[in-house]
Amino acid sequence: MDTRLFSHINWGLLALTLLLYLAGVANLYSASGTRLDSGMTFSGFYQRQLVWGVFGLCGMTAAMSFDYRRLRNLAWLFFLLSLMLLLLVPVVGKTIYGAKRWLSLGFMSIQPSEIVKLAVLLIAARILSREANPLGWKNFLSLVAVVILPCAIVILQPDLGTSLMILLILAGMILFHGLRGYVFKTCLFLAPCAAALMWFAGMHDYQRQRILTFLNPGNDPRGTGYHTLQSRIAIGSGQLWGKGFTEGTQSQLRFLPERHSDFAVAVFGEEWGFVGCLMLITLFCLFLLAIFSTASQAKDRFGSLLVVGVFFYFFWQIFINIAMVIGLIPVVGIPLPFISYGGSATVLNFTLIGIVLNVAMRRFMFKG
Amino acid sequence: MKQPPDITLPARTDSTSHGRKGLFRSWLKIQVESERYQPPHKGLIILQIFIGILFFVLVTRLWYLQIQRGEDFARLSQENRLRQERVFAPRGRIMDRADKIMADNRTAYGLSLVREDCRDIPATLTQISVWSGIPVSQIWEKYQQDRFKVKSFEPILMLPDISFELLARIESEIFAWPGLEIVVRTKRNYPEKDIFAHVLGYVAEVNEKEMEEDSALATGDFVGKAGLELELERHLRGQKGLFDVEVDAHGRALGKILKKEPRSGHEIRLSLDLSLQRAAWEALGGEAGCVVVMEPDSGKLRALVTSPAYDNNLFAAGISRRDWEALRTSNRFPLQNRVIQSVYPPGSVWKLVMAAMFLEHGISPRETVFCPGQVKLGDQIFRCWKQGGHGNVNMEGALVVSCDVYFYLMAEKIGIDKMEAYAKACGFGRATGIGLPHERTGLVPSRAWKRRRFGQPWVRGETYNISIGQGYTLVTPVQMAVYVSALLNGGDMLKPQLMEDDARFVTGRLPAADRTRNFIVNAMRLAASGGTARVVSRRDADMGGKTGTAQVVKLKMAAGDRRLRTAEMEYAQRDHAWIATWGAKNGKRYVVVVMVEHGGGGSRVAGPVAGKIYDHLFGPETALTVKATR
Repeated sequence: MDTRLFSHINWGLLALTLLLYLAGVANLYSASGTRLDSGMTFSGFYQRQLVWGVFGLCGMTAAMSFDYRRLRNLAWLFFLLSLMLLLLVPVVGKTIYGAKRWLSLGFMSIQPSEIVKLAVLLIAARILSREANPLGWKNFLSLVAVVILPCAIVILQPDLGTSLMILLILAGMILFHGLRGYVFKTCLFLAPCAAALMWFAGMHDYQRQRILTFLNPGNDPRGTGYHTLQSRIAIGSGQLWGKGFTEGTQSQLRFLPERHSDFAVAVFGEEWGFVGCLMLITLFCLFLLAIFSTASQAKDRFGSLLVVGVFFYFFWQIFINIAMVIGLIPVVGIPLPFISYGGSATVLNFTLIGIVLNVAMRRFMFKG
Repeated sequence: MKQPPDITLPARTDSTSHGRKGLFRSWLKIQVESERYQPPHKGLIILQIFIGILFFVLVTRLWYLQIQRGEDFARLSQENRLRQERVFAPRGRIMDRADKIMADNRTAYGLSLVREDCRDIPATLTQISVWSGIPVSQIWEKYQQDRFKVKSFEPILMLPDISFELLARIESEIFAWPGLEIVVRTKRNYPEKDIFAHVLGYVAEVNEKEMEEDSALATGDFVGKAGLELELERHLRGQKGLFDVEVDAHGRALGKILKKEPRSGHEIRLSLDLSLQRAAWEALGGEAGCVVVMEPDSGKLRALVTSPAYDNNLFAAGISRRDWEALRTSNRFPLQNRVIQSVYPPGSVWKLVMAAMFLEHGISPRETVFCPGQVKLGDQIFRCWKQGGHGNVNMEGALVVSCDVYFYLMAEKIGIDKMEAYAKACGFGRATGIGLPHERTGLVPSRAWKRRRFGQPWVRGETYNISIGQGYTLVTPVQMAVYVSALLNGGDMLKPQLMEDDARFVTGRLPAADRTRNFIVNAMRLAASGGTARVVSRRDADMGGKTGTAQVVKLKMAAGDRRLRTAEMEYAQRDHAWIATWGAKNGKRYVVVVMVEHGGGGSRVAGPVAGKIYDHLFGPETALTVKATR
């Protein structure tokens, strides 16, 4: 590799990423702890997360090793491949929790809807990069037309969370790119209509139930409201300084559900208190700013759109997950990057950071 | 704006100027070095605004939760440390009329698994399989079924009933398997097994649907699934007690406070007689069939046997799939409670109903009919069971020798509409209200029914068939017992009672005058003493009976064919054998109805079964001849 490229790595972003990841592992260590009569025992989540991190770093290195502009050429191919995988799911997929989302590879399961997220990000970057001006109807609709198919398939799986994520990432990228005023206003007007349509036609009963429970969690404290209530108790009882590392009772005494995965940040909040949370959120904001700075420095439209796509990929997950855990929005199955346990998510997160670093590294290669 | 150049130019800068400097620039500054491409200014501002919103919203909310309301939540997390624990209430016992135990509870040891304590679930499940001998795949399936029904710190019952030998082995090895614990439970026990299986039913682990319908139920509970266990579930169940268990921050239980005392379920005393039931079971001798023994005056059931049956203890212990499949697919239908859930054509026993109807519709019992052995209707021939015919028969004679031709011709006079109305008024075509689940109503056919069912009008030949209990008519053995009881007890149609302490309950009046009932009862007496039902005759008791042989399939017979003997027919094509009887001795009266599926002739097959039951009721036959009680 060209040593000059090496010197342009966005070290700040890399450092922040590793810092978040290590905080996540430490938090998982605590979240895996269970207090018994005789002391603490720890399940192996944090060890596995460490192994996944190594895979993630490999993925990141791989994502940095080629010129990112090649991705532009591969965007359509990648998009079609992921669409095919998605269509394969209803045929040979396996059903977990009543939803058919997984493809089994024998040694592991993959969720094609995750790959579709990436594919939509690439294809949107490619399509948007053709147009220098704010989007008019024609380009806007062609973009929507491309994305509507994978979104519909994902909704039918049913996986409302992921399809919402896809739309939100896309919306972020379009906002960044800019769109004509009348298009924007029409969308603003149509959004509530789409939401209503979703409520009556696109949602399953359990999803509606979650939203209703969210609006009044005290209604059913042992049932669907349990998650929200327990996670709020966990975070709130952390108070200013927290209960201390591995001292959280909500988590150690197992009141907190899903404490390794979606609700991992509640463990953090309980043990580190407001001060810790403030630091964590500041870290996340700096992390987002580091991605932002790469987007602003990118020397071509495709590159900056790519980075903006990654920006929103992380932004929405961070925002939605934490907001869900602290009871601002209903429970949706979206993990917190680097903090929640998850093998493929960790690898994917590192790989996406690799792409951002890639764009940053090659920003001096344009001299016109 | 133009397209940005899409070509890679080699970087022509020297590496020193872009060394450490580049690093700081990329992190601290928003610096645009390109001449051509500028990221959209508005877009960049939007990204920054997004980050600002994220920070502001989340931090504000966290401030509210952790600082503003922190103390509230700290208190709630303290309260959280109280766990509630259920205490099971013993299920009510079931006794026979003499207080002999038919269902009780015994201590059983189970093995349960707490997900979160379990370090290696696959290995643990494999170990359970090694201990129990149940295939790993089944253990996994059970685990997968239940894992989402309980919280991760709640136990999943993996083995419901462990033998003592196995218990000893597991106890010595369990320390190596965190997350497994031995639980003591009570288990339902049915000492009489098959003999009472259909009456008692069984209990088994509650399913999701039942939990939805009944909030008092939780995973791992056992509830009635069939028979009286199902019908009287709420009566038998009792109420769970509740412990508040204090657990400290280290998860150690500090103490238990009893919040609610468990209340055991109610005991039940049945009207059935254990020894009689056993005698009836043995009398059936493994044939597929059933027996009803009822006291005609009180409506109390003394025996209610159906065969083949199954061992209901299998269900209480958690039935294996192989056993269940064997029961479910057996061509002898051991799960069917034949007394109330099987409907059969009544055959000649039906003539007891028809004769009463003729009398009530003004046909004189003295009126005779000439039976030549068959009658012709159009080009159809309706045969009497006796090939040569009975000659001149009146009503009494027709009942005693069971002449078919008499009933064909009299039924023709009355017509199907009146026949239908009368049979329904006698309680056929509706449930008797015996108080067991899934009782069937049987069928009394009518013109309207046939039009609905087949879209065809009624034809006269069908009236003939109905008159001798063939054709579409279907009854349950218990309906027949209720009818015969009403003949004897003065015309009260009674609800068949399974509870010893329930009061007599009249569901309706038999539409038959005293004269009519006495006539039929007397005809049954004559049939028992010298007619088709003489198999039940005994010198020491007043007996009456009527046999029936119900054709299962219509046999096409050409002229000159003889009827096949039972042994020559396929099992499933053989006739059902019926006998409906009553007996009285020393002021005690009983109605006994026996039905043997595909048994062949009623007098030959069902009769001896009834005879053995009377032997049990009245003792072995003595030479003493008693006077008729009526």
